[in-house]
Amino acid sequence: MLRYLLRRLLSLVVSLVVASMVIFAMVEVVPGDPAAYMLGLNAQADTLAALREELGLNGSLVARYFDWVGGMVQGDFGTSYTYRTPVAGMVADRVAISLPLALYALALSTAIAFPAGIWAAARRGRAADVTVMGVTQLGVAIPNFWFAMLMVLVFAINLRWFNAGGFAGWDEGFFAAMKSLTLPAIALALPQASILARVMRSSLLDTLNEDFIRTARAKGLTRGQALRRHALGNALIPVLTILGMQFAFLLAGGIIIENVFYLPGLGRLVFQAISARDLIVVESVVMLLVFAVIVVNFVVDLAYAAVDPRLRARL
Amino acid sequence: MSLLQIERLDMEIHGTAILRNVSLSVAPGQIVGVIGESGSGKSMTALSVMQLLPDGAQCRGEVSLSGHDMLTLPERALCRLRGNEVGMVFQEPMTALNPIKRIGDQVAETILIHENVSRAEAMARAREALDRCELPADQFPLTRYPFELSGGQRQRVVIAMAIALRPQLLIADEPTTALDVTTQAEILTLLKRLVEEDGMGLMLITHDLAVVADMADEIVIMRQGEVVEAGPAAQVLAERKHPYTRALFEASGHQPERADTGTGAPLLRVENAVREYATRRKGVWGKPGVFRAVKSVSFQIERGESLGLVGESGCGKSTLTRAILGLEDVQGGRIEMDGEPVFTGQRPNRDIRRRMQVVFQDPYGSFNPRWKVARLVAEPFHLLDGRPADWREQVAKVLDDVGIGADAMERYVHEFSGGQRQRIAIARALILRPELVVLDEAVSALDVSIRAQILDLLAALQKDYGLAYLFISHDLSVVRNVTDRVMVMQAGEIVEEGPTAQVFDAPVHPYTKRLIAAAPVLPEFATQD
Repeated sequence: MLRYLLRRLLSLVVSLVVASMVIFAMVEVVPGDPAAYMLGLNAQADTLAALREELGLNGSLVARYFDWVGGMVQGDFGTSYTYRTPVAGMVADRVAISLPLALYALALSTAIAFPAGIWAAARRGRAADVTVMGVTQLGVAIPNFWFAMLMVLVFAINLRWFNAGGFAGWDEGFFAAMKSLTLPAIALALPQASILARVMRSSLLDTLNEDFIRTARAKGLTRGQALRRHALGNALIPVLTILGMQFAFLLAGGIIIENVFYLPGLGRLVFQAISARDLIVVESVVMLLVFAVIVVNFVVDLAYAAVDPRLRARL
Repeated sequence: MSLLQIERLDMEIHGTAILRNVSLSVAPGQIVGVIGESGSGKSMTALSVMQLLPDGAQCRGEVSLSGHDMLTLPERALCRLRGNEVGMVFQEPMTALNPIKRIGDQVAETILIHENVSRAEAMARAREALDRCELPADQFPLTRYPFELSGGQRQRVVIAMAIALRPQLLIADEPTTALDVTTQAEILTLLKRLVEEDGMGLMLITHDLAVVADMADEIVIMRQGEVVEAGPAAQVLAERKHPYTRALFEASGHQPERADTGTGAPLLRVENAVREYATRRKGVWGKPGVFRAVKSVSFQIERGESLGLVGESGCGKSTLTRAILGLEDVQGGRIEMDGEPVFTGQRPNRDIRRRMQVVFQDPYGSFNPRWKVARLVAEPFHLLDGRPADWREQVAKVLDDVGIGADAMERYVHEFSGGQRQRIAIARALILRPELVVLDEAVSALDVSIRAQILDLLAALQKDYGLAYLFISHDLSVVRNVTDRVMVMQAGEIVEEGPTAQVFDAPVHPYTKRLIAAAPVLPEFATQD
């Protein structure tokens, strides 16, 4: 067990180091000098040089990499080129929206997908199955921004249950904040839920064909009991894999939905930073996302072990 | 009164008739052997009793289990009977248990589902059931997971689950087919003891006549969904009224006509061969251990002879086979064919490999389903320096030789039955006209009548092609009938070697004795005509 944990942790650290190098290198080779961009076309050469010096763009590549990484380890993400405020604070404000949004969407997606997938598998080939498969096919196919706009039209403009966009802020109380995240979370969750429901269904159907389900039925379990007690746990492993991938996507991929709902989340921050050549912000946010993905994968690995005793024994 | 009474049972699945007019009965304390080849409907008969049939199945007739009419009872009532009045044991113990639940929980579930008892009491009774199935508490605590047990031990857990509530009827569907002979003997003894202790009826389904000959009171012989012969075991075994019964008996003990083709000239020499594997590291910084799967094995195969290699699962025979085929290198000793090593550098020695081919057990898994037969059979040509110009003629010839016919060339393997596929596999092995063919459990997956045909074919080909066979099998009766010499392998070592008749009639090593004693045999009067 300890060995497994150490190995997973080691691979986590290695992934982070490699990712940081790649991100740093990519931002370095991207064309566009932030200093020149900030000062505009008519900048004087000496002003430009001074600004470059101030922004720390002049040192050697290696020294700048270590400055950057060293700073991040201590919580110092540098200062935004455009806003002239510490990146750490900006990112923290955005994470306070994007992380709850991702978790909210993930919870919704799971809450929809698990029952739907189980229901469809239990009634394979019957009306329920056909319905779930049809609806999820649509859910996968429909672009979520279009669905988001539809929801704004119905629930915000016509029914006036929700605001059409913007974020209430956590100062307004938990429920007000969550309310303003509800429509975006639904828009994010639906395609994910469709995929997850289909994975759940097919994984369950595979498991229901296993010999041990027949054994369970021979013991006197009903179809439903055999499904709940014996198939579900075994069917969970591929579902966990997808769930892990989806969380990463939800955290980083909310950019379009954030734009539709005017949410000041991470996605919008990256988008604005890229347009403004605010490379230090881009680097920091991307690094943060990579960190989140790697941590989620680590948790998924642990979840596999929790589900499957064979894996635990091999740890 | 009978415990189980099946009368004129017809069953069809989506309109295809599977069972026709099946009648049989099991009395309390009686063992009824149901025998048949694949597709005979023996398993479907059992599943009809359990009413666990595939979707689309329709039954007509009567199945009455201690007074309950199983064909009309609603599903809820059937669930109350399954596991309680009737238990079932299946063929494949490796997959019959839920891999992520503890064995104690799985056995206790049978009790908890049917009786309103506390979990603690159910666990105590699960313990009792496992004890009765000879899985003692000190070695097999309730907290074990299935993957920590061997196949035979898992089958005991499945049996414990089935008998936990002392059902009146136990249905065992090929319960020992996937097990080694010594394990098979133990499981059969266990089943017999449970029948005696609880007075339950046992419906024992098998393809192996010898298994039931030893223990059944009544025998039912099935073929293509019908009962062809039934009656008291001794009578059926002695009289064999129906031609199919006679054919089945003949095929079970079939002895192909073999010419003495041994030449005395050595072909393959294995000298002190050692095969080792690295095992898991222990602890965080530990070094991997070494597992010696083959421990200094020496023997040789002569041109044109048939050498048998028998042993139970895990004895190292597959590992040895891979080394002989040059798929893996040895860690000690030498394996040479005509003085040339079978493995050179990092790969098999191509010059040797083309003179040595293999046929595996599984006629379904050993072909690429997307290739046509012609391409499959021609595949070994890649061992030559190029496909000969007349390769299609050669493929046609060899397909003729194995009794498939050249018109199979443009077809895909899924169009062929298991026996036909095995013939195609033999054709593939023969296309390069090898000198040695390794038959790795090559007839083990086949029904007895098909097996008899393949054994005849192998005998004929041996003569025509001048082949030497290395015949690897766990089935002692087959090895006895088709080999000149035999080697017995245990735990990576060859413990006995000699002329086949001598080893079987007068075994010297205690392990050989145990193996031969455990193998079920047909009674004398049944094998003599």
